[in-house]
Amino acid sequence: MSVVLTANNLTRHYTVSRGLFKGSAVVQALNGVSFELQAGKTLAVVGESGCGKSTLARALTLIEQPSAGSLQIDGVEVAGASKAERKQLRRDVQMVFQSPYASLNPRQKIGDQLAEPLLINTSLNKTERRERVQKMMEQVGLRPEHYQRYPHMFSGGQRQRIALARAMMLQPKVLVADEPTSALDVSIQAQVLNLFMDLQQQFNTAYVFISHNLAVVRHVADDVLVMYLGRPAEIGPKNDLYAKPLHPYTQALLSATPTLRPDPEKPKLRIVGELPNPLNPPSGCAFHKRCPYATERCASEVPPLRAVDTRQVACHYAEQFL
Amino acid sequence: MPLLQINNLNVRFGDASAVPVVDGLDLSVDAGEILAIVGESGSGKSVTMMALMGLIDAPGRISADAMTFNGLDMLSLSRRQRRKVVGKDIAMIFQDPMTALNPSYTVGYQIEEVLHQHLGLKGRAARQRALELLQKVEIPAAESRLDAYPHQLSGGMSQRVAIAMAIAGEPRLLIADEPTTALDVTIQAQIMELLVNLQQAHDMALILITHDLAVVAETARKVCVMYAGQAVELGQVPTLFEHPAHPYSEALLAAIPEHSLGAERLATLPGIVPGRYDRPQGCLLSPRCPYVQDHCRAQRPALEAQAHSLVRCFYPLNQEVA
Repeated sequence: MSVVLTANNLTRHYTVSRGLFKGSAVVQALNGVSFELQAGKTLAVVGESGCGKSTLARALTLIEQPSAGSLQIDGVEVAGASKAERKQLRRDVQMVFQSPYASLNPRQKIGDQLAEPLLINTSLNKTERRERVQKMMEQVGLRPEHYQRYPHMFSGGQRQRIALARAMMLQPKVLVADEPTSALDVSIQAQVLNLFMDLQQQFNTAYVFISHNLAVVRHVADDVLVMYLGRPAEIGPKNDLYAKPLHPYTQALLSATPTLRPDPEKPKLRIVGELPNPLNPPSGCAFHKRCPYATERCASEVPPLRAVDTRQVACHYAEQFL
Repeated sequence: MPLLQINNLNVRFGDASAVPVVDGLDLSVDAGEILAIVGESGSGKSVTMMALMGLIDAPGRISADAMTFNGLDMLSLSRRQRRKVVGKDIAMIFQDPMTALNPSYTVGYQIEEVLHQHLGLKGRAARQRALELLQKVEIPAAESRLDAYPHQLSGGMSQRVAIAMAIAGEPRLLIADEPTTALDVTIQAQIMELLVNLQQAHDMALILITHDLAVVAETARKVCVMYAGQAVELGQVPTLFEHPAHPYSEALLAAIPEHSLGAERLATLPGIVPGRYDRPQGCLLSPRCPYVQDHCRAQRPALEAQAHSLVRCFYPLNQEVA
């Protein structure tokens, strides 16, 4: 198995202006995220709004430079890469966005949108490009006559198929999907998820699958990274993490997710309050104000991410939940 | 006598030849009951509730054999009479709390407005009552929030304010249209718990419109599954989840990742919901149904009582189970 994506202590801070008479503040949108991803595997990133999921996606797809840390795509270090190398790296990492309504150009025919990655990145001629596009359209379940159509003629599910086809045109090593099914109805979501799985098998692509839906993540992921306020809370193999979550936040997320077979015997882990202001994060563990197990140590000392059992957990008391 | 009784409701946009968006819907809700209406986009769940609230304008046309609430004939009410009922005895909360509140007025003002309109409270009495309402929906530091503008509140807080406004008139029936779809999962759990607690404390009837079957499984006792404007199955929770009788109910359940844990692929229904202009002649599900027979393509089934539920299907499933 080859590792195609390595993030080491990836960090992204933003400086925000707070008005004329105040100094600017720093938002730590992404703080010390590390993982390795192998070809053909899926890493799911979960967390609530504002936890840094999308910032991570932007860093991985080279849309933004990380403030610190290193990122290697297929063995090439991004930070020191030359312009030509970066162009090649961009080919290898593609992205699918949340809203298929906003991510397709309304004035361009589907066929042309799918051919554009080839036009920019390859030296294929027009007929070759058309052939490749037709083949990909067939693979994602679009009919040949759709080539000439515009995005508004498609339903949400079909548009997401188009967006996925466009991302797969260059057969990237890594596909970053940011909430790809959260705008879709459940029966359409199932179709699109199946398509994701089929394409992964076929092209052996590594997926970074960002989602807030833990049921979906459980279906697609191999490894799961749980984030809270820009920091990793827990990262590990899917089955272990779902069977026995070690971080209280992971426990809370799993407990809050509604289930088809609710067990009235099993008490829900209630967490109170909302995500703290990222401009003014709590001292110590960012989760301590909402955590039912918090102690004084949690309020003063930031828990480092450390190996516990099969996973890495950022909680002082992770062993207690084993 | 049920609190709300709807018989044969039809809603069309356009003249009498237009395809109905809601097609022959029967619904009844008892006082203090939780009814969930589930279905995908375009199934007519929201339009049904808008028809009840009198929110459908021309070219929309409503017809029904009966639509009575608390003994009142909702179809023959004058505008003035309707205004006394809607917002007081029947209240509604919407999907997007950010757009449900007026951005130009403080939260306190907007709640006091409801109290003034429906209960005739003014001045200090109204403000005191608004404060109590905010406390009732568990907003921390409620007193200072009275003077907050909607943009100063998070999504979860805004939804709590919307709920406070809805329960200000002590409604007999609360309609919640996708109340947690826009919220994070931990906040969703908090809001659902709040809604159920309020429902029990005030003996309100609650109609919960949602596309999330897991939310239904955790809260409702009675569920109505809608497809393309028709009720296709009406049954009890959890019976309907264990023995779905309509092929569409079965497919909706099967499409949820949680339902096929460990499976490579999710079960899907092929195709999409038929649009307004391509309605099949027979059963509306017939082009997508895996159990379809010739009979289904020619004739439309009626909603009839079967072993566990009311089902609109010629060949209902799971009938042998006791």
